[in-house]
Amino acid sequence: MSHATSMEVKVMGSIVAAINLRKYFPIVGGVFRRKIGDVKAVDGVTFAIKTGETFGLVGESGCGKTTLGKTLIRLLDPTSGKILFDPRGELPDNPRMGEQMNDYDISSVKGKRLKSLRRYMQIVYQNPSTSLNPRMLVKDIVAEPLVVQGLAKGREAEEKVLQILERVGLAREHLYRYPHEFSGGQKQRIAIARALITHPKFIVLDEPTSSVDVSVRASLLDLFKELQKKMGLTYLFISHDLSMIEAISDRVAVMYLGKIVEIADPRELFDNPLHPYTQALFSAIPIPDPEIRRERIILGGEPPSPANPPSGCRFHPRCRYAREICSSQEPALTEVKPGHYVACHLY
Amino acid sequence: MRVEEILSPNEQLRVKDLIVRFYTYEGIVKAVEKAKLNLRRGETLGIVGETGSGKSVTALTILALTPPPGRVEGGSILFRRLNGSIDDILKLSEEQLIRLRGKEISMIFQEPNAALDPLYTVGDQVAEAILSHRLPEMLDKAIESLGEEVKNGNEGFSTRLQLWAYNEMKKNPKALKLRLVKRLPIIGKMISKRLNQVVREEIIELLRLMEIPDPERVVDSYPHELSGGMQQRIVIAIALACSPLLLLADEPTTSLDVTVQAQILDLIRRLKERFGASIIYITHDMGVIAEISDRVAVMYAGNVVEVAPVKELFKNPLHPYTKALLEAIPRPGATFKSIPGTVPNLVNPPPGCRFHPRCPYAMPRCVKEVPELKRISEEHYVACHLYGGEGHGEHSGGD
Amino acid sequence: MRETPLSIVGLAIVIFFTIIAIAAPVLAPPRPGRDPYMIPRYGYSPIPKPPSPEHPFGLTQGQYDLYYGVIWGTRAAYRIGVLIIAVSALIGIVVGGVAGYYGGIIDEVLMRITDIIFAFPGLILAMALVVAFGPGLDSVTLAMVLVWWPGYARLIRGEFLRIRSEDFVEAAKAIGCSDLRVIVKHILPNAIYPLLIMASLDIGSVVLNVAALSFLGLGAPEGYADWGQLISLSRNWITGKPGDPFAYWYVYTIPGLFLFLFVMGWNLLGDALRDVMDPMIRRR
Repeated sequence: MSHATSMEVKVMGSIVAAINLRKYFPIVGGVFRRKIGDVKAVDGVTFAIKTGETFGLVGESGCGKTTLGKTLIRLLDPTSGKILFDPRGELPDNPRMGEQMNDYDISSVKGKRLKSLRRYMQIVYQNPSTSLNPRMLVKDIVAEPLVVQGLAKGREAEEKVLQILERVGLAREHLYRYPHEFSGGQKQRIAIARALITHPKFIVLDEPTSSVDVSVRASLLDLFKELQKKMGLTYLFISHDLSMIEAISDRVAVMYLGKIVEIADPRELFDNPLHPYTQALFSAIPIPDPEIRRERIILGGEPPSPANPPSGCRFHPRCRYAREICSSQEPALTEVKPGHYVACHLY
Repeated sequence: MRVEEILSPNEQLRVKDLIVRFYTYEGIVKAVEKAKLNLRRGETLGIVGETGSGKSVTALTILALTPPPGRVEGGSILFRRLNGSIDDILKLSEEQLIRLRGKEISMIFQEPNAALDPLYTVGDQVAEAILSHRLPEMLDKAIESLGEEVKNGNEGFSTRLQLWAYNEMKKNPKALKLRLVKRLPIIGKMISKRLNQVVREEIIELLRLMEIPDPERVVDSYPHELSGGMQQRIVIAIALACSPLLLLADEPTTSLDVTVQAQILDLIRRLKERFGASIIYITHDMGVIAEISDRVAVMYAGNVVEVAPVKELFKNPLHPYTKALLEAIPRPGATFKSIPGTVPNLVNPPPGCRFHPRCPYAMPRCVKEVPELKRISEEHYVACHLYGGEGHGEHSGGD
Repeated sequence: MRETPLSIVGLAIVIFFTIIAIAAPVLAPPRPGRDPYMIPRYGYSPIPKPPSPEHPFGLTQGQYDLYYGVIWGTRAAYRIGVLIIAVSALIGIVVGGVAGYYGGIIDEVLMRITDIIFAFPGLILAMALVVAFGPGLDSVTLAMVLVWWPGYARLIRGEFLRIRSEDFVEAAKAIGCSDLRVIVKHILPNAIYPLLIMASLDIGSVVLNVAALSFLGLGAPEGYADWGQLISLSRNWITGKPGDPFAYWYVYTIPGLFLFLFVMGWNLLGDALRDVMDPMIRRR
């Protein structure tokens, strides 16, 4: 049985927090389509994102980072746990939380309330070619959030679309075009414009630069930073590109098989990775410098399946420091240095 | 044409003035424009470029597999064959190409699950590669193994039948009598038994070389039962099954996780030593290039703009695009910036140097004249008007 | 995009028929005060009369003017063909869309209903329905719609299944779009193209089926300007006269030719449209 983490989540001053969040996807099988198991995509995650910060989330495929991002903004319904969200970015202090938690808990809201919350939390997808409706004009794509949320329509909406397009570096002439007429970087800017037009407070960026050419990524990151300052945004930046994360995040969390295994600020994480998985991950990045030959930690074995996670610490079958306790007891995420949290029995 | 003189003794492949154009509804896409590359025996040449650079098209053209509506409109691709002779791949007939592909030149692609047929087991697919090109060798092994049995006194009907069949197959695998006999109900199966065993052993050995755990089980699995990393190893196994002289790798690790990518890169390096193949490795990831290449060619919008040994390229990038590309890579602790503008539309590419609209050093000459790939120093070639260079890059890299 | 010669032929044929249909009142002026779709008679003799200056295509059994019949038959073909396809497509879109979008038990139920209809050969089922409803063009229209909509439902359902997992659909939900809006504004415009192609291919088949029903006496009444009905009138004259088997060639050849060309033209056009949509050839 896995426990809630012992990390005292300091939610004061945060905009969104997850408390023991779980998201399972049922596996159906057999003639009668019964549930025979679960894919435990997110399995007990607790953390808080401070208002105005960029919170990086790294991990490899299957670790649950995209699922976590989508569940936080209620694109997916959580299986259990709480999601605390305050559009003003002022979640109260822990003691008071006890009483008011239900006001902020959005894990089960529905209908009108959910719809009205949507204007404050948005998402930018990885691949702009599939996240924009190929049969809609740019102006309609970007205006749609306003129309759906009842904030503006017609002429007024078009004006707002123009304003936001200019903010992301596009122009009036782009209004009456289709997405396929643009390059990858430009399409992503259109997607960003769509996400920003309702002036949200919290945005999930799901690998926003992965599908874009290398030479263009920096300009997108600059755009994110600029928009964050000007519009007071908080980001959850999901990526598998560790260098990109380091460049933009204030804090970074590493996920493995549905759980967070380490949280620290980027410099600290890069210089001093504590969790064995983080160490292996960083050692695997190819360095763009032929002079440096990094000592590689090659992980043995295959990444396990989230339908059948190992017992105890999920990383233990591939960990070179694994001990007996690792296979029986799950380590809790504890703060071993100021601001640096690890879930590992070594510490 | 006396081709002998044009490839120097340690050169494996030379692409000369390659022109590939795509005839689409939107116009003629000038995808590759007079590209020059060469590859030495045993080296790994990294080709780096972004969308529209023409790198994938070039690789496919080396195998004469230019996807339609693309057409090769000029240039030559000289390749030193296994028997020492030199051929222009673009001039070979389809029959000759079939013998070349998979045997002397192999290719691996980005998506392993697209390269593997979901309806056949892993073993079947690797066997296909082996049986297409190494049939005589396998037959010899089968005959030898049967011969052992005969020596030990086992001379049953099945053994004699197989011996006869294999000897016939060595003479002419497509003989009519063989084809007829194979169709007979029980006898047909009997004939292939020993051969299949021999091939299976070979496959398991190959999988073991690929560092695939539990190869006996994997041989009978279907591709979808394996992870991405394992699938890619199978693809590599198929590519290397016939010990090709040249391996073309088109972004083979781009869709894999970072940790898996590290494993595969390591594997490729070790296999190269063992198999002695030359590799052309295409990617957009400068980190991978730095790790795996001996020399690097940078491509932009259909042109090769710079070629240099890997350390030289990173230390001393000459072409403005290469410089900008290196500055666009995020490195922990360093700032990085984008290249302004976008990749040009190749239906109407900019005149002269295709990079000039985005180049901070553009001169009037850049708009008028296409720069030639010129040798700047030992081994370092650039196509840019900023550099004078010594003569023309006819022998780009030949010693 | 009309590159292959066959597609030009198809287009030409379709345009030809469209012009005839539009110009019918001019080409074959109807008699005032009467239903223009009822062919004027010039006598009551059952024996057909060959083409002559007053009756360019001759007269059928019952002395109906064949020229008038095929001209207004063109218009009738379009009218009924388009009507049947439009209504079946509408039903198909609604059923297929709901099934594809919501899935689950709704999908199961709706698809089983379509399966049941598919189990019957189309024409036979249509015949049975027309007999049940009573003969006449309205019954034919209704029966054909009931037989035809499952094809479109299947198609739309398939497209919906494919599109609903695309990112932009999820993005629409992330903005707060209601299910209806997602279906109508996002999925449908992307799903409709295969249906349009299928519909254009279908008009030929539909007209052919309606002609068959009319030929069997289940559709248009005698004297109605309908190609199938006209062919029906030629039934007894196919063998011609003793000693002259093709004596009455005009009675079946002319309406048959019109029907044949109409269907072929639409088929060729549909093929051409499908080629244009085919991404391999378009090579975006």
